[in-house]
Amino acid sequence: MNTSKPYTLVRKAEPYLWILPSIILMSIFIIIPIGFVFRMAFSEVTKAGLVKGFAGIENFAKVLKSAKFGLVLKNTIVWTIMVVVLSTVLGFILALLLNNEFKGRKIARAIVVFPWATTLVIQASVWKFIIDIDYGALNTLLKTLGIISSNVNWTPTPEAYFGWEIACGIFVTIPFVCFTALSGLQSIDSSYYEAATVDGAGYFQQLFNITLPLVKPSLTVATVLNIIYVFNSFPIVWTITKGDPASRTDTLVTYLYKLAFYNGKQGEAAAVSVIGFLILLVCASVYMVSTLKKGED
Amino acid sequence: MKKLIALLLALVMVIGLVACGNNEAPAADAPEAEAPKADAPAADAPAASDEKVTVTMIAAQYGNETADWWVGFEEKFEAANNGIDLVVDVVSWNDIYTVVNTRIANGEAPDLLNIDVFADYQADGLLLPAEDWVSEETYAKFFPSFLEQSIVDDVVWAVPDLASARALYYNADILEAAGVEVPTTWEELKTVCEAIKAYDAEIYPWGVDMTTDEGQACFAYYAWNNGGGFVDEEGNWTLNSAENVEAVNYIVGLVKDGLTNTDPTTETRYDLQEMFASGKVAMMIGPNQISKYCEANGGINYGIASLPTNGDKAGASVGVMDRIMCFDNGYTDAEMAAVTAVVDAFYDDEPYAEWVLMEDFLPATSSGNELCAQANPGMAAWIDVIGSAKFYPAAKAEWADVKLGVIDVLQQVLLGEDAQTMLDDLQADIAG
Repeated sequence: MNTSKPYTLVRKAEPYLWILPSIILMSIFIIIPIGFVFRMAFSEVTKAGLVKGFAGIENFAKVLKSAKFGLVLKNTIVWTIMVVVLSTVLGFILALLLNNEFKGRKIARAIVVFPWATTLVIQASVWKFIIDIDYGALNTLLKTLGIISSNVNWTPTPEAYFGWEIACGIFVTIPFVCFTALSGLQSIDSSYYEAATVDGAGYFQQLFNITLPLVKPSLTVATVLNIIYVFNSFPIVWTITKGDPASRTDTLVTYLYKLAFYNGKQGEAAAVSVIGFLILLVCASVYMVSTLKKGED
Repeated sequence: MKKLIALLLALVMVIGLVACGNNEAPAADAPEAEAPKADAPAADAPAASDEKVTVTMIAAQYGNETADWWVGFEEKFEAANNGIDLVVDVVSWNDIYTVVNTRIANGEAPDLLNIDVFADYQADGLLLPAEDWVSEETYAKFFPSFLEQSIVDDVVWAVPDLASARALYYNADILEAAGVEVPTTWEELKTVCEAIKAYDAEIYPWGVDMTTDEGQACFAYYAWNNGGGFVDEEGNWTLNSAENVEAVNYIVGLVKDGLTNTDPTTETRYDLQEMFASGKVAMMIGPNQISKYCEANGGINYGIASLPTNGDKAGASVGVMDRIMCFDNGYTDAEMAAVTAVVDAFYDDEPYAEWVLMEDFLPATSSGNELCAQANPGMAAWIDVIGSAKFYPAAKAEWADVKLGVIDVLQQVLLGEDAQTMLDDLQADIAG
């Protein structure tokens, strides 16, 4: 056996060499641009995009003082919680259904993938068309079925618009949760259910004492990834309302987009971006710490 | 240690996913500095006689034909000017601000830029005065009232490339069926709307766009036709004037009375245009391009009239103007002459008339006016309209904030806020 010092060094360095390309790519395309965002957040940036100098926390102070920011942050939290929680519950229920043996299961699974495989802008445009008061598919369908006699305004208030945006968000997120949960369900050994059945456990007892604990790791991963994706989601809100009226349907991402490209306040937009980043960092940290702690236990 | 690793892993994960998530935004889709920077010689080195001088330009994409038009212009220009290599990047309106700012931040500003705003670039000292790069012959072609819109500190910094004006479009058949005439005052407008509503409740009498896209135009239509506006004669902001408050309350009142389209905060001018062309909206304010759109999509019997005013107050159309400006890239005499040659060629009567007619805009030069009116007799009336139009105060550095501010005021008042309070707050924010 060759145990010379150079050989040992090479063996030790080998894993780092393998991950080096990824680290270089991440540095160039992800970490450096994010570094630029942080730099802009603490800089005085002109409307033409020139960085004029260090501004300290001035951009953050302006953002936090703005009357709109509180409303937008609240919208973002509501948007994220509603979409993530409801899509997780519905996606899990759908996964339970698709995990059963039935005729046409493969086709059903393929159909579930469709919303996920379609561009979000297209999805949002379709939803906007469906709920349109004048030409919307929903009104046409209900009138054809004789349920309504004249067109209904499905979006009479900003809250109603936001509700539809959340519904669209849930619709496009369900497939991801469903397939993550499905992969977890398929890894459960059927002998657990056989033993539980022999012991007289009912469907819900099996669901809460066998299925859920064993699928939990998959659902946890899906939830954390969803929190980050949904929090940062731009196309749905932008396509349907652009955050209007008066920012009542804005989330942090659409708000910072308007700040940067409509108002020309790129420093403040970068500050909003950093605030969002820190919020997500806290969420992800809680998850990572708890996961590693459990692994340790 | 484990906690530290966990935090680092979390950081990496968030960074990765945030970066992926951001790819969804249109900004990330923006083409990045598509064209190579002009490989022009250093500022203090005269161009060698056998070396081509490159002129770079970023041009806004007005429609489907814009890019092809510029390709043709480049070919003709280079054939006539052997020593000049013209490189034009046509960029969509969605991306142009990002592309231009990215190029500026990287020290790769184009030589010429065709866009709507100029004040932000001028404020950063990035532009050259128009007299430095526009020949006297070309300069003399512009309407003085157009040039005035690009003056800061008594210097003209940009020249207009085209304009458009707004007028009242009405569906003549619907008005006739409802037994009403074209409204000329606000009072008549409300009466006509009520009559149309009574005639057919399925028709929206009046089209209104208060969206982030163009809500500032909505504000201008009513403020300017009520003796109000954005600034006074000295150029001071007058956003909370009594006339403006009355104007905001009037248009919001029409919406609340159910006399307009149901959702003015999400239905853009383009949505209204479609509804007008299909007979769903009876009247709307819009640009001259609507005529062509109506003829191509349904051919309704429409008419055009001046915007209604409040009583006998003086009326005004809303003019919108885009510009061409030149960045200060430290030119040699040869490079400056090349830039001027491009500008002269663009404003040469024949190509300029072709450019304006291509997307149905209005010309910004006197000779262009004559040629366009000859080519399209329907444009003559519009050329009169643009002559009396008012323009947004885009030369003022606060304009971007004012623009979004008045849109927000309209939307807030629609949601039940008080117009006076909202406009007072905006005035305080802008003028201090």
